[in-house]
Amino acid sequence: MKLALRLARRELRGGLAGFRIFIACLALGVAVIAGVGSLSAALDAALRNDARALLGGDVDFHLFHRPASAAERAYLDRAGRVSEADDMRAMARNADGSQRSLIQLKAVDSSYPLYGSVTLDPPQNLADALALRDGRWGAVAAAGLFQKLGLKPGDLVRIGDGMFQLRAVLVHEPDALSGTFDLGPKVTLALPALPSTGLIQPGALVGYGYRVRLPPGGNEAAFAARAKADLPDAAWRIRGFADAAPSLQRLLDRLTVFLTLVGLTALLVGGVGIGNAVRAYLNEKLPSIAALKCLGASRRLVFTCYLLQILALAAAGIALGVALGAAAPFIVAPFLPSSLPVGPQLGLYWQPLATAALDGLLATLAFALWPLGIACEVRAASLFRLLIEPADKVPPVWVIAAIALSGLGLGALAVLTAPERVTSLWFVAGAAGALLAFQLLARGVIALARILRPRRASLRLALANLHRPGAPTSGVVASLGLGLAVLVSIVLVRGNAASEFGEILPQRAPSFFFIDIQPDQAADFDKLLASLPGVEEIARVPSLRGRIDQLNGMPVEKAQIAPEAEWAVRSERGLTYAALPPEGSRVIEGQWWPKDYSGPPLISLDANLARGMNLKPGDTMTLNVLGRELTATIANLREIDWTSLGLNFAIVLSPGSLDGAPETDIATARTAPENETALEAAVTDRFPNVSAIAVRDVLTSLSAIVDAIARAMTAAASIAIAAGVLVLAGAIASGRKRRIYEAVLLKVLGAERKGVLKGFVWEYGLLGAASAALAGAIGTLMAYVTLTRIMRVPWQFLPVPVALTLVLAVLAILAFGWLGTGRALAAKAADYLRNE
Amino acid sequence: MILLDGVQLTLASEAGAVNVLRGVSLKIAKGETVALVGPSGSGKSTLMMVIGGLERANAGSVVIAGRDFAGLGEDDLARLRREHIGIVFQSFHLMPAMTALENVALPLELAGRDDAAAAARATLAAVGLSARERHYPAQLSGGEQQRVAIARAFVASPGLILADEPTGNLDGETGRKVMDLLFGLAAESGTTLLLITHDRALARRCSRILSLEDGRITADEKSATGAARRGRKRR
Repeated sequence: MKLALRLARRELRGGLAGFRIFIACLALGVAVIAGVGSLSAALDAALRNDARALLGGDVDFHLFHRPASAAERAYLDRAGRVSEADDMRAMARNADGSQRSLIQLKAVDSSYPLYGSVTLDPPQNLADALALRDGRWGAVAAAGLFQKLGLKPGDLVRIGDGMFQLRAVLVHEPDALSGTFDLGPKVTLALPALPSTGLIQPGALVGYGYRVRLPPGGNEAAFAARAKADLPDAAWRIRGFADAAPSLQRLLDRLTVFLTLVGLTALLVGGVGIGNAVRAYLNEKLPSIAALKCLGASRRLVFTCYLLQILALAAAGIALGVALGAAAPFIVAPFLPSSLPVGPQLGLYWQPLATAALDGLLATLAFALWPLGIACEVRAASLFRLLIEPADKVPPVWVIAAIALSGLGLGALAVLTAPERVTSLWFVAGAAGALLAFQLLARGVIALARILRPRRASLRLALANLHRPGAPTSGVVASLGLGLAVLVSIVLVRGNAASEFGEILPQRAPSFFFIDIQPDQAADFDKLLASLPGVEEIARVPSLRGRIDQLNGMPVEKAQIAPEAEWAVRSERGLTYAALPPEGSRVIEGQWWPKDYSGPPLISLDANLARGMNLKPGDTMTLNVLGRELTATIANLREIDWTSLGLNFAIVLSPGSLDGAPETDIATARTAPENETALEAAVTDRFPNVSAIAVRDVLTSLSAIVDAIARAMTAAASIAIAAGVLVLAGAIASGRKRRIYEAVLLKVLGAERKGVLKGFVWEYGLLGAASAALAGAIGTLMAYVTLTRIMRVPWQFLPVPVALTLVLAVLAILAFGWLGTGRALAAKAADYLRNE
Repeated sequence: MILLDGVQLTLASEAGAVNVLRGVSLKIAKGETVALVGPSGSGKSTLMMVIGGLERANAGSVVIAGRDFAGLGEDDLARLRREHIGIVFQSFHLMPAMTALENVALPLELAGRDDAAAAARATLAAVGLSARERHYPAQLSGGEQQRVAIARAFVASPGLILADEPTGNLDGETGRKVMDLLFGLAAESGTTLLLITHDRALARRCSRILSLEDGRITADEKSATGAARRGRKRR
């Protein structure tokens, strides 16, 4: 070992020139993994620290449709300090009623907030801002409402039937978990002021939240469990502070998994560069290896000596990556969206850094051992021949075993350290499979290059350079292709989503959803809409909120539910009942009930949900509606076209099932864009308790979300592309000598500069075209699957943006190739051919 | 075929400017075989590069195959080489990414000739390497590589072959065979041959021997053996 170390040190004295790409490839992947891990750990720590403030208390009890009973409230009061915060959607109007906006309304008591503090502009105490002054209740609102209604602090705003004075801008509230789908600005009132809005009516979509602050030393988990046992009929959703921000936590977990896997992809793609760099280095060292063996060095000593060199260089790359990754939270913090309820808790998080370093080490071994194993097989006797090359094209079995172990270790580490292991497993398998598929396809391209015999000399030379022994074509095509394929799929998904949300949906979707229509308003509502010119496709159905409690008698917490169906049991769901199958859905299993059915409760269930919950017709589902348990038999499964944005419910009950439960109606109507404001005004002026949700705004929000995701994906794809470009740069760098030599020889043989240039253009053009063609095909397939299977959006191929992306990519590859080899063209023949 | 008048060349080096050629004047007729001899550093290879248009003289005139190099650009010189000059190097200098056949066909392909492959195949056969057509340079022995290089130099039937110590990297027996081939092909096609060598015996196979020392031609002698051989061949 000592001798191997000494030899390795001597060899490394030659400098790192050939290894810059190796180090860059490794550093890029490690930096992304370490950076994402550090940032995620910093946000996680902040979430844990601020959990009580984010939840609003130690334990949160949430009810829909009804406030806590006196007994329930007394139970909570006995446990600690209680703060009530109710929430709902409503409409706000300026004083003269000329401007209106949908709002997220929250009404809080004087104990609010139990943890953290509210920031207002101009600065003042929240209780003062909301207090009754001169017979007028106060309110505070997010800046968005002031802009939308053209108001300033001190102005009046009408919410429902009540008139409030907007006294300040709500800058920050501790429990403001920005949902991804807030449809209107936040407005906060004092709880005693809520009745004056007239919005609290039977069946109205109001959530009642009770946050409890336990005395010091109180155990929130024990209290939550006790409350559940003591008041089993309360049907409230209980959350402890450890589960303060489930959706944010889920988002953070998913982002971490996704971005870590992007880092891993960069490492995989960069691995090709690592392998190429090691191969190029060892090819130059073959005479030294043969000489060492000639002098009596064992294969083991030679292997150890060169492995030590590779590990030393890997250590440099990993250290650089880890350093960049550790700095990431500090660098990124100022750019995080202000809508995040917490900022990262800056610090050094060793665990993600160690994981990233280990990832880097395993990737190095997985990709460097193959060329190392082959190089070490060179025979000492080769020194007596002109051509020194390894005896075998495949390394010894023990090296292959070590490569397999490193690869498996890398995959296992990625899966085991991820918050969502199944996703990671699929991704790791997918990325490795895609890389392998690209390598195989690239080999096909090389085989094709070998068969083709064009007459044009420059093209022949280009083809020869693609398929000559030792050409890095397959690695370059695979690594560039993978990143490009992701880019193509993003372009297609983005394009399809934009056309779906921006052009196709608005043509068939309703203009508005009207919610909270009281049953006694229904007839008037219908009459009003019928009297308005240009309003069509009016639909109205009853709506209630209920929670899925049991599946076939088993509590949902214990039932096996697929991740894609979990959304349905996370919170209350909208329910309706109907005599006929709703439009926009089709019964695919079981039978719809007779029109005049009046027997025991039956359910018509969304087929996808049924699949995720393992349910079929004949099974039962127990719903909790306002504390009342309702067990119904599943009569049929429906395939629902959600993309029409029409009135449709995952759960539809048979008529009579929900008798006695307070219900409101929900309605849709369609009108031309220029009539939308008039329609909204007519309905909300006539029925102040009714909220109008503009579908145009929803679609804009959806587009914005898809856009944001597409941007994040593009950024992620560019990391993979950067790794691919590094591989290309490595291949260009390692081939530069050969290329200059070729250029010189071609000139000696009478080629004009134009001809030599053509050869380069052909070579890089073909390399780029091969990468682009494969990326185009695989990227299109990826987009097709994403759109039709995951997003369930109609698919259309968009040739122009795809072609544009690929042409730009080929041009970029050409430019890159030119930058790397342009010097070859200017090389002077005499300098290279002189023997004297 | 070759007409040099007062050719001078100065090259820059770390130690300062070096006068490699100091006024070389020379005339070589079509079909002549000329050996260029002299000690290392005397300027032999540089002179050959100037004749091949790979190096530009600082002063004097160079006329090859009736074309004056003065005023010719890099691409003009490349075209001139393609049509009139074949070069054989000591280190073979084959295209590593191309097979033997592709290497030989290359000059014809560059000239846009349709019969490149057929002509290359015939020339490879003439140097006895038909069986090696699909081999890459790295898969050939030194002697075989030099035969491929000779085939490549002759394939376009140039009027002038420049050979820079073509046996320098070969053993004695292989070197002898390669030179037999080179002289044989030159004689058959009536090609002018300019050969750099350190080997006096080899030089004597040429019809004329030029000695170069310190950038100047110091002797220009007829070789009795070479002339006699050539005479015999012609008869």
